[in-house]
Amino acid sequence: MTRKISYKTAINEALDQEMTRDPSVILLGEDIVGGAGAPGEADAWGGVLGVTKGLYAKHGDRLLDTPLSESAYVGAAIGAAACGMRPVAELMFIDFMGVCFDQIFNQAAKFRYMFGGKAKTPVVIRTMVGAGFRAAAQHSQMLTPIFTHIPGLKVICPSNAYDAKGLLIQSIRDDDPVIFCEHKNLYGSECAVPTESYTIPFGEANIVREGKDVTIVSYGLTVHRALDAAESLARKDRIEAEVIDLRTLSPIDWDTVMESVEKTGRLVVVDEAHPRCSLACDIAAYAAQHVFEALKAAPQMVTAPHTPTPFSPSLEDIYIPSADAIVAAVGKTIARVKAA
Amino acid sequence: MSDNPFPLSLEDLMRAYRTMRTIRDFEERLHIEFAKGDIPGFVHLYAGEEAVATGVQMHLTDIDRIASTHRGHGHCIAKGVDVHEMMAEIYGKATGSCRGKGGSMHIADLSKGMMGANGILGAGAPLICGAALASKFRGDRGVGITYFGDGAANQGTVLESMNLAAAWDLPVVFVVENNGYAESTSVEFATGVDSYVDRASGFGMPGVTVDGMDFFAVYEAAGEIIRRARDGGGPALLECSVARFYGHFEGDAQTYKAKGENEYNRENRDCLKSFRKRVCDAGLATDRDFDQIDLEVARLIDDAVASAKAAPLPKPSELLTDVYVSY
Amino acid sequence: MPPKVGVIANPISGRDIRRIVAKANSLQIADRANMLARALAGLSAWGITDVLMMPERGGITGHIMRHLSHAARRGDSGAIDLTLLKMPVTGSAEDSRRAARIMAEEGVAAIIVLGGDGTHRIVASTCGDIPIASMSTGTNNAFADMREPTVTGYATGLVATGVVPRAVGVKANKWLEVRIDDEPPEVALVDVAVVTQQNIGARALWRTDTFRELYVAFADPQLIGMSAIAGLVEPVGRREASGLMLQLAPADKAPTVVAAPIAPGLIEKIGIDNWRRLRPGEPVFSSVEAGSVALDGERELCFDSRQKVSVRLVERAFNTIDVAAAVHFAAQNDALRKGARLAV
Repeated sequence: MTRKISYKTAINEALDQEMTRDPSVILLGEDIVGGAGAPGEADAWGGVLGVTKGLYAKHGDRLLDTPLSESAYVGAAIGAAACGMRPVAELMFIDFMGVCFDQIFNQAAKFRYMFGGKAKTPVVIRTMVGAGFRAAAQHSQMLTPIFTHIPGLKVICPSNAYDAKGLLIQSIRDDDPVIFCEHKNLYGSECAVPTESYTIPFGEANIVREGKDVTIVSYGLTVHRALDAAESLARKDRIEAEVIDLRTLSPIDWDTVMESVEKTGRLVVVDEAHPRCSLACDIAAYAAQHVFEALKAAPQMVTAPHTPTPFSPSLEDIYIPSADAIVAAVGKTIARVKAA
Repeated sequence: MSDNPFPLSLEDLMRAYRTMRTIRDFEERLHIEFAKGDIPGFVHLYAGEEAVATGVQMHLTDIDRIASTHRGHGHCIAKGVDVHEMMAEIYGKATGSCRGKGGSMHIADLSKGMMGANGILGAGAPLICGAALASKFRGDRGVGITYFGDGAANQGTVLESMNLAAAWDLPVVFVVENNGYAESTSVEFATGVDSYVDRASGFGMPGVTVDGMDFFAVYEAAGEIIRRARDGGGPALLECSVARFYGHFEGDAQTYKAKGENEYNRENRDCLKSFRKRVCDAGLATDRDFDQIDLEVARLIDDAVASAKAAPLPKPSELLTDVYVSY
Repeated sequence: MPPKVGVIANPISGRDIRRIVAKANSLQIADRANMLARALAGLSAWGITDVLMMPERGGITGHIMRHLSHAARRGDSGAIDLTLLKMPVTGSAEDSRRAARIMAEEGVAAIIVLGGDGTHRIVASTCGDIPIASMSTGTNNAFADMREPTVTGYATGLVATGVVPRAVGVKANKWLEVRIDDEPPEVALVDVAVVTQQNIGARALWRTDTFRELYVAFADPQLIGMSAIAGLVEPVGRREASGLMLQLAPADKAPTVVAAPIAPGLIEKIGIDNWRRLRPGEPVFSSVEAGSVALDGERELCFDSRQKVSVRLVERAFNTIDVAAAVHFAAQNDALRKGARLAV
């Protein structure tokens, strides 16, 4: 059975179903219960945006509110994972990774390799990414490239409720550390999601719109901007854009992306991260290296500017890659596109 | 044979001695082999501090976990990690504990509860909180021990972890191996107040200071602290004052130490000498018994070095295994 | 020239296993340093500025040096001129012993000791007739004074400068000498316990089933530790010309049983077979076959069946500053009330 639920509810459901299925799944994070030890409701918040609301009532002490010590509790989640648990740690904003990065990139990411394959670290670190929340420079970043740079980490960023549920369940069952990026501006977005548990394998991109003229690759919120752009291109310019949602950034589905580029001959990569050393660069470079002969035009990148995220709504709105910018980028690959 | 005055059986006494002697010989031998240039990278030797790893870990089983430091060989040996595999790992060989992919600073054996030496100072403290949390969830009465030095005691991770362990009442023992030097910088220079017990107090957990060069002092104090944690009494800190017989790493000229400091410590504070004397004085064993252990350990280390040298290097294909490679 | 005063502050007193097996406190280094700073303020009120201090690595010295340099920078008058003794730091009791010896050679007028009974024992056994001003930073603190350090420093200043005569401000104390065979004797300021544990280990005493004999120089039911056991059956004053010896036995078989606070927060049933007064000079031989001897609550000496342990009470063994007597004398002295000699 399927029904329409939000991205937020889908994440909550994935956690609930995995906790019910597997007693080794525990949740740790700041305010994930919300109100622990306070005089009011025991689970007042259920996460700062209510993503884990209701789970405490069902699973009790398997949800742990933590002190505001990201190094300690993210490290503890990693340590518990190395000792047979399947912890899901929530790090409220990806911007906070700086305070606990050592535990992620020097510990979790390296255990399996560094210990000669004799360690598993099945930890998931859920974190909110992305701008558009009027949250300014330290609560709005799309720092995904920092994590895709690190061998040993898996990096996931779903763009819709269906993917969020299936990918989170897969993340919890995966034996490697996973950075699970949730776009905060997608929490309210709804789509049809099965009630039962299911997984989506890592490394399988999703072609969300088929087309023959240009390949637009993206992930997270900007998948929707890419779809808007494709719609506009089809309507105004009779251009059939193929839109690919990467879904998983590490591992990445090179085959699907490259096959599409070989078919369309044109590539536009849309990434909410900063341009330097980003997923956008990575994919453009990979295409240049592997399918150069098929390219009819230079690959284009649409990214946030190389600046911190601004606060003022008027600035933030132009900071995030827009459908218009994507259309313009497609225009650089196909002469007949009219300026938006 | 007189009555045994010690809180350990004769068998355990001899096991403790063998462990300390194995650590000492392992390190002394690495000191020699490293100077020959056969060992890649760098090594940090534990010689001098054997009574801490041994005195603490005599109380542990495989269900208990330890998180170690860059100076981790002693902790590994005391936790039962195979000495041949360790030596091979340090030589970067395919037969090593980590198949040559970790080296001296990353020897681990999770099956033995050894969560890894660690190249990042203070990184073991959060990890051991997780291990203790796992034990608490499973109810297996396992205890987590994290070692760190007087240097790493200044890391935020250690202090955060003390708070986390206290807040969550985790069965964790924080063991400070205070050898007086953070690499080359003295404790006095690097801290406002150089008491680690005071820090524990600040987080509401008891702390105890012992002479880390005295096996029996460490053994008894650690025993009480570990029993307390195992029984649900919560975390505690054990500060062991020790002397590092060598430098921070091999090749360190140690010019920051006082003249004669190493010689004094080797002469007057050697845990092996005092252990042996006390057990002999009590009439439980003779020098011959100890010499026999020394001989067996020397053979073991000889053999470990010889087989490590003879062991194959990792195959080039090993470069890409044990990690997801998506490029 | 005002006299010199010595300071021996032990950074690891009150750090042993009784934090785990009992509820003993753990006095922070910063607090120990502040105690010393207050005592120094008391000293400087009487013009004493020349202070010799034992070096240590626990942080007290660093803290007090910082405190003094801040004071000097702010131009505080009467700033103490603190000299650290030139001696190696081993982090063991040997440091206190060596420091006390050097201070005696330097002719200090008094030694301020921050430590537990163990630290006081080491200093008292080394410093000859130099009076000790005791400040408690240990675990049981049966010997050491529990008092505001400012007043201890103040009284030490009064006595050291001679404002208060020695006859008034310095008191003689008893101690217990313990001898194993013909070895040189060790001393205990409060109590000697003979236990069956034949090892030193973590030193502290808490396993009551091993307790066999107890000898005390004084006993007070207001104290904690081994002497509390004696204090609960027959109190003996610090200035009385006798001590007490007790034969201990399992609590379920003994004719006398007391509930004694043998460590902070640790009250245990202790069985006592018999007890009697211990006369000064009378050597008593232990009837325990093998075990260890705890001096002021810490296992220090092991012995076996071939060795003989004897204990002897010695009067007028060492001197302490009598803080109460010194300040009361000052209170009755007219000249002092007119500000004479006052350095502040």
